[in-house]
Amino acid sequence: MALVNGMRGLSRVPSYVVMQPTTLCNLDCAYCYLPLRSADRRMSVAVARAVAADGNEWARHGRFSVVWHAGEPTAAGREHLAALMAPFSAGVEQHIQTNATLIDDAWCEFFAARRLRVSVSVDGPPDCNDDRVDRAGRAAYPRIERGIAALRRHGLPFAALCVVADPRPGLAARLYDYFLDLGCDTLGINVEEREGVNGRDNRHDAAAVRAFWAELAAAWRARPRLHLRELEWSLRYLDAVLSGTADDLLPRQLDPIPTVGWDGAVVLLSPELAGFTDAGYGDFSSGNVLDRGLSELLAQPTGTRWVGEFVQGVEACRASCPYFGFCGGGHAANRYFEHGRFDGTETEHCRNSKIHLLEGVLDHVRSTRPGGSPDPRRA
Amino acid sequence: MSDPLDLVVAQIRDVRDELVPLLEEARAARLARSEEPGADSGAVCAWNHFENIPTFFNWNNRPR
Repeated sequence: MALVNGMRGLSRVPSYVVMQPTTLCNLDCAYCYLPLRSADRRMSVAVARAVAADGNEWARHGRFSVVWHAGEPTAAGREHLAALMAPFSAGVEQHIQTNATLIDDAWCEFFAARRLRVSVSVDGPPDCNDDRVDRAGRAAYPRIERGIAALRRHGLPFAALCVVADPRPGLAARLYDYFLDLGCDTLGINVEEREGVNGRDNRHDAAAVRAFWAELAAAWRARPRLHLRELEWSLRYLDAVLSGTADDLLPRQLDPIPTVGWDGAVVLLSPELAGFTDAGYGDFSSGNVLDRGLSELLAQPTGTRWVGEFVQGVEACRASCPYFGFCGGGHAANRYFEHGRFDGTETEHCRNSKIHLLEGVLDHVRSTRPGGSPDPRRA
Repeated sequence: MSDPLDLVVAQIRDVRDELVPLLEEARAARLARSEEPGADSGAVCAWNHFENIPTFFNWNNRPR
């Protein structure tokens, strides 16, 4: 067959920028990838102004978002976060990814006044949050729950990101029920990844991961009230294959997704690489917005050595992986932290979150056949 | 001999009869969730269903 189209090189215009208002996080989650989360290094307003100079222009021509993340943004305080948000025009969508532990009525009023779109990080019922602790080792869940209660009290819609350390059957339906009750409108499931300062093994039994996703598909199908990211994107691909449009599904180019660190340093494609250095790749930075505009830094992305290698890796995925049309290529941070380089192909993350996902959804579909015919390859 | 790159597509086509009802249920569910064009509210900022959630809820190329 002809190779799948899309994801050829990097776009010069990002759909969103990740901004690090502070490196600090008030939690110390066991699986966190951030190297500087115990330090409070704050972004200057000059950095925000530099990003806004391009971001405001991009928003005039299309949809553009800023995501405050990479540390706990609310740990920067409302006054500082407001100062960082101020340079961005009303046309720029603002999002925050938060652990919710500091959210109170005042924060809710802040979010509402600035139309900040909120996504909380919570891993399910209390016993699923054992990895989410503060520096004294105390469980964060009661504070997460209070923060989410404040959002609900104020009628603020919110999304949720859930890290799953051990995907297995029996867990998925319980998680889905939890998030239905939680009141979020969108859910993303992140199977834990080995990256950054998190070196925990992310290899899992393939059948267990596949069964996890199949169970999640069945749970969602019974009550499809949430936008479940993994299901929506699986169904999108499956629909496109049946309708013969799968070759037009992937974006034409990769989104560069710049992460702008607290000091203005820009790392493309994977926030998880920010703050790290490598003897061969350096600090992974493509430059600093205080020296050159973001649009200028994005004009020659493959001038950064590892980015060029990553683009070669995407082409290797295209040429070798039957799941490429669904996935679009393994992610940069997963390649680096699992393989030590960027031009390899299949990672554990690919298996856990792409391949077994699609196969699990297909297992669910097969289970609806009369007699529940299994996957013929496993029979 | 079939191309290994076609294996996934082939198994999807193999379950067409069972897949079509699921896809129709998903379309109805999106309408029920008001994820149709023009409904720009909430974390799901409807605009184009499959590109409607920028940032970590988008799929390509960084589903985080």
